[in-house]
Amino acid sequence: MKNQYDYVIVGAGVAAATIAKGLLEHKHDTSILILEAGPEIIAKDRRFWWDYITRGERPYTFTYDQKFEADSTGNIEYQTDGVRVKAYGGSTMHWGAWCLRFRPEDFNLHTNTGEGADWPINYEDLESYYNDAEAFLSVCGDDNANWIPRSKPYPVPPFEWTAADGAMIEAWEQLDVVYQDGDIDPGTKTKIKSGKMPIARYRKCMTTGTCKYCPIGGRFNAQYVLDDLKNDTRFINFEVRVNAPVHKVNASSKSKIESVTYTDNLNGKKHTVYGDTIILASGAYNVPKLLRASKNEFWQDGIGNDYDLVGRFVVSHSMLNVVGKAKSNPNGWFQEYDFPTLMSHSYNTKEHQKKGKIFMFKNRTTPNVDIAQLMIEGKTREEIDEIVYGEMTINLQAFLEEKGKFSNRLEAKPGVDRFGLPLTTVHFSRTDEEMKNANDRLRLLEQVIEKMGLEVTSSRIDKPGGHHTTGTARMGTSPENSVTDKFMKVHDTDNLYVCSNAAFPTGSAVNPTLTLTAMAFRLVEHLKKTNQIKSKIEDVNTVDTI
Amino acid sequence: MNEELTSIGGPVCNEKLPASLIFAEGQHLTHQNKEALWDIFEAIGKNWSNTIYDSNNQRSSWYEMLKAKTENAPNYAGEYVNAIYVLNELYSMYGKDEAFKKLFFESGVDNSAPPTTRLAHCKIYVVNEFIRMQITAGGFKSWGTKYGGEQARNYHGFLGGTRYNRIPRVREYDPETTNSKNDDA
Repeated sequence: MKNQYDYVIVGAGVAAATIAKGLLEHKHDTSILILEAGPEIIAKDRRFWWDYITRGERPYTFTYDQKFEADSTGNIEYQTDGVRVKAYGGSTMHWGAWCLRFRPEDFNLHTNTGEGADWPINYEDLESYYNDAEAFLSVCGDDNANWIPRSKPYPVPPFEWTAADGAMIEAWEQLDVVYQDGDIDPGTKTKIKSGKMPIARYRKCMTTGTCKYCPIGGRFNAQYVLDDLKNDTRFINFEVRVNAPVHKVNASSKSKIESVTYTDNLNGKKHTVYGDTIILASGAYNVPKLLRASKNEFWQDGIGNDYDLVGRFVVSHSMLNVVGKAKSNPNGWFQEYDFPTLMSHSYNTKEHQKKGKIFMFKNRTTPNVDIAQLMIEGKTREEIDEIVYGEMTINLQAFLEEKGKFSNRLEAKPGVDRFGLPLTTVHFSRTDEEMKNANDRLRLLEQVIEKMGLEVTSSRIDKPGGHHTTGTARMGTSPENSVTDKFMKVHDTDNLYVCSNAAFPTGSAVNPTLTLTAMAFRLVEHLKKTNQIKSKIEDVNTVDTI
Repeated sequence: MNEELTSIGGPVCNEKLPASLIFAEGQHLTHQNKEALWDIFEAIGKNWSNTIYDSNNQRSSWYEMLKAKTENAPNYAGEYVNAIYVLNELYSMYGKDEAFKKLFFESGVDNSAPPTTRLAHCKIYVVNEFIRMQITAGGFKSWGTKYGGEQARNYHGFLGGTRYNRIPRVREYDPETTNSKNDDA
């Protein structure tokens, strides 16, 4: 079995797919090995799709994290069970496909607030790569939206607001707090409008049996890209090995990373594979655990961990949830799409950064009546009519931005999971001030619900959790303040990169995947240039030798 | 066979079975089997008055589901044949129309419990799944017109999809008209 590659990539999610595609299209015979700890789940399968429709079963749920596989310490429980898919395709097997850019101020959190961290790059450094990422994922969005500066239109037009969104749009319009001046165009009184959620549509329905939203047009799934690469005859040196958890990154000197060691879960044998460049593209859980497990004579506390920063500054999102009730639903409204179509960035601005930004959106499933369940329960047409036009609930939600703290840390606990990856302990606490700010934000959401004429029936802050975990091997300007540099290369190494949510210094208030994809595009450009320079140097040396 | 009948139907309906899917690997449905099962699907639309053309506009989707469920493991052919046994007993006891009313509205089957009779297998593995499929395929659309309003077009994204790109997928928000009907809400 071949054991030497130009690139060895750990993890088979969206970052790995983006990097592999970019490098292979640049140079077709590039040798790339992707190692994925989880299995390959069959997709594009009509039986799985029908089982999902009729029984609510999804074929990949056995790959989810289990509660017993992670401990949580601190003053607030960190939710880890059920949040990630460990499989070929990674968590894009079941993600929501919301594709929002971070805003310019997200890259300067510490400068603006004295808390959290700055990125070593600015929004402008990433803007063109956001365009690439949106094209790659086929993001549909509203070109009239003004919440973010952008140099190219969305590649696909947006989904329209549903009729059921109307009351909330009108409430937002009546509440000045929703139409605040942003910092997009200071001094011009530019208003941030209610928005249409950008969603990664990618392709027509592929009936994966894994797509909750099928068939809106088919969400992006990294499986599709990896399958295409494997089936493309130009890319003869591209390989993916599943059921292959990586345990250790091996160094031949302080700066030279030479290989990784993994186990073939099908036969229990250990293998070491060598790469000119090693890229850790697994998530914010596995990257820090792998780096810390990779101790050697050059890195006695784990690679990149000379300053005890690996695994620290865990950032997540908590969800704010406010539910309102109306006595009737005379239009028989349903949400009609199983994803949110209405969003607002009114509290996701620089002005709100100190207190903690929130990103608001209408719940993807309200109002709703499960008509099929009522039929299954034997309710008659007349009884269901009463329910459809009767009491209605609407749920307003928001992601709450967290700021990275040294004391919030993710690390391995003894033992391994079903896939041979280390178990997890998350130490996570919030300060009293953060709790107060979160509750204040909740009041804002309640105002909107009340403005709609609804009675607030539930108002809560959900637990933080693994859905959007970032920051455990963050980028920065030096080894003293970060694990990687501005190109996500681990400080003091020549060839070890982290292309993962782990490298994010901040988590903003929006979903991370689009930003990760943009970062992957940026890394591809960097690697292309770096390796061009490398080969020129090698050519010169060869001539000298002759 | 049960001596004491606890639900609708007779000895066939109440015969005990393990809760797991009836083993049927390698078995196939005959044309007659499919026609008998179609009667269930058609009756769903009639009893809830939520489809047109006697459900025939959903027939191709329904056939596709049947094919997927009987030509791939786990094979549903055993469940489908069992449902036909149950139906035949119910027809003989109540007549066809009343049999479906009893099956849909008065079965006495606990939908959340493991099915341990032939009747419960029929209700949970066949009737309930046909209902889910029927709503997915557009049965929801007849709800939403009580006050002469525009009817729902989509139900959590299952339909209005790629085959219907020229048709608006959902009731869209229109500030001029959409919400005026909710002034009384």
